[in-house]
Amino acid sequence: MKKLLFLPVAGMIGLLFFQATQKPEVETYPELHSLAPDMPANVKAVVDQKCYGCHNAESKNEKGKAKLDWDAFESSKKSKQLAAKGKIREVLEKGEMPPKKFLENKPEGKLSEEELSTLLEWSGGKKKSTD
Amino acid sequence: MKRWHYLLGIPVVLILVLQLVPNELPTVENNNPGDLIGSGIVSDEVANLLKTACYDCHSNEPSYPWYAHVAPSSWLVAKDVREARQELNFSNWEDYDMLDQLGKLDDIYSEVEEGKMPLGIYTIMHPSAKLSEEQKQAIVSWAEEAMDIIAESEDE
Repeated sequence: MKKLLFLPVAGMIGLLFFQATQKPEVETYPELHSLAPDMPANVKAVVDQKCYGCHNAESKNEKGKAKLDWDAFESSKKSKQLAAKGKIREVLEKGEMPPKKFLENKPEGKLSEEELSTLLEWSGGKKKSTD
Repeated sequence: MKRWHYLLGIPVVLILVLQLVPNELPTVENNNPGDLIGSGIVSDEVANLLKTACYDCHSNEPSYPWYAHVAPSSWLVAKDVREARQELNFSNWEDYDMLDQLGKLDDIYSEVEEGKMPLGIYTIMHPSAKLSEEQKQAIVSWAEEAMDIIAESEDE
């Protein structure tokens, strides 16, 4: 009889420990490419170095490719480009990109202060803490 | 005590205990002057679709079903609505700036097209919110047109 009580209780307690885990993803940078011609050179440079590795048409990172593909960006129409800018600004302001999991394996992928402000300025955003 | 006393009693007691866990459903506010519907960018047809398929979570005016008030389902409802509003709240549409509006429309486009939204668990409980292919198409085309309009109207 005691066992009947034990099972549901153990089940409930077990639920408390339930957590979603994510697999870390290891990335490699593909070679350089040519980005949108109307993009300022300094922005292009940062994107090339810090974003394009995952966000390109050949990317093995399916999620990154689906969310933003720089190769498709330049040929997409204005409304789509602006929408992408809006979303870029959002993830940058929240500090969600590059992803933490990615930086664990590749700390040099982190955006420097300067690079971050370059991207934010381009995408119309403000820096989180300062000014 | 007979065996069936436990079989019946234990789950009942557990459910009752669960009700004591604090849980706050996101508040309902029916007066939303900055709502998408009323901003002039959405037709009545699409507005109705959005109301039935999206507004329970992505607006300040959900109509909570009875199980939204009973744990453990209330936890899921509260979490989903809270997160949904954070991601996109049609009631606060006018507060978003142009780039945000475009970003959200772009997400609406792909989420609906790929059938990721409305969530499966929501449409099981709300079969009327399940979008037919034509309805999906209506929302997707609206989203794209609205993006073009917004992108052109506020030239920077």
